[in-house]
Amino acid sequence: MYKTKQLWTPLSSVFRGVLPTTCSLASFTANSQFPSLSSHRQSSSRVPPRYGLNFSPYSKFPLLRFCSQSAAKLDSTTKRCWNCVAPGSMPFLYCDSCRSIQPVDLSIDYFQIFGLEKKYEIEVDGLERKYKDWQKKLHPDLVHSKSEKEREYAAEQSARVIDAYRTLRKPLSRAIYILRLEGVDVDEEQTVSDPELLTEIMEIREAVEEAPDSQALNQIQSRMNEKLEETSDSFANAFQKRNFDEAVTCIQKMTYYQRASLCCSCNVIMGSATLRIEEMITTDV
Amino acid sequence: MLRLVANRLLGTASGEVLKRPLQVLPRFYHENVIDHYNNPRNVGSFDKNDPNVGTGLVGAPACGDVMKLQIKIDEESGKIVDACFKTFGCGSAIASSSVATEWVKGKSMDEVLTIKNTEIAKHLSLPPVKLHCSMLAEDAIKAAVKDAEAKRAKMKPSPIEKAADV
Repeated sequence: MYKTKQLWTPLSSVFRGVLPTTCSLASFTANSQFPSLSSHRQSSSRVPPRYGLNFSPYSKFPLLRFCSQSAAKLDSTTKRCWNCVAPGSMPFLYCDSCRSIQPVDLSIDYFQIFGLEKKYEIEVDGLERKYKDWQKKLHPDLVHSKSEKEREYAAEQSARVIDAYRTLRKPLSRAIYILRLEGVDVDEEQTVSDPELLTEIMEIREAVEEAPDSQALNQIQSRMNEKLEETSDSFANAFQKRNFDEAVTCIQKMTYYQRASLCCSCNVIMGSATLRIEEMITTDV
Repeated sequence: MLRLVANRLLGTASGEVLKRPLQVLPRFYHENVIDHYNNPRNVGSFDKNDPNVGTGLVGAPACGDVMKLQIKIDEESGKIVDACFKTFGCGSAIASSSVATEWVKGKSMDEVLTIKNTEIAKHLSLPPVKLHCSMLAEDAIKAAVKDAEAKRAKMKPSPIEKAADV
């Protein structure tokens, strides 16, 4: 069992990278199936490390096979659901013809999963409903009786939809993600030394620590949420102008405001927990 | 479901049952870190406007950490006679900056510029994921020294002025 898994995992991960765009709604050309051929910047940053940045999908096959003719040929054979191979079934995450879950295709980005244009500003309200609709089709609980292969697809596919939902729902994670799609990674470990921003943050954090009661904390928190919104708008602006340096700065600010907001919540909880404990101690039992 | 995904990721045999969703080695804070967290040394603030005080203010946006490290310079010798810090962040960040304030005391500004984050990390046995905390502390030292030197440069009368005084 393990042996076949060994064989299966690399192959499937290979094919996952290739089976693609038939499963997507975007207008991908046939050439985009072969990252090693296309000159456009493949979203290698979307690909998690275990798949490798330079995966050559057909490493098992001689490179000579990479030509447009074979591309067209393969195209016609891969435009199918793995299960029902219904002609022109064009499954997107899920095949409606035979109701089977498809393997994860990493070339489909989170926006596509939710049927959204790749823009920073999105309708967050519609996300939840779409998310639930997907889970009604993809959730592992629905495939208990199906093959192990499909159960694995369900696990991975629904996990990916969860990731997509979580990422797109919040402005900060959405901002980081959409930048990454453009090939810009916010360097997590880069030290920031902008004195103005840091002094501001320092003062806010000190205020949070020294806040006398929940009311004060809530006030600080609403200020932080305001700042988050402002900076989110600045990000949208910068991103639209493709001023990525400015966009990264906005993300850094948003991270700080979000963190401060989180600290407010924590302190509120701690405060009320302390009050409850004091209550319990002083109340005659 | 998570176990299933984790099993595939880790390539473990199907028979094995993972007790934890992800196979994470138990990591504990080194006793030095706990010590610095429970008994923080040198927490506080100096007057930012004091000409003999250098202030280093740095941040790590990924975790929302912010670290302030201040040094007090002896006017004549140019050595660091006192240091304090204020850090909002994780235990490792707090411990790193605490260690930094201990190590800079009594040294010259040139000397403390040679303090490397790897030494701090080693002293605290920081795991890889927390190495950037020690980097932050190193950056804070450098920023404080830079600020102190800039202030000292402003204070020193220029040779021309000195000659004019005579």
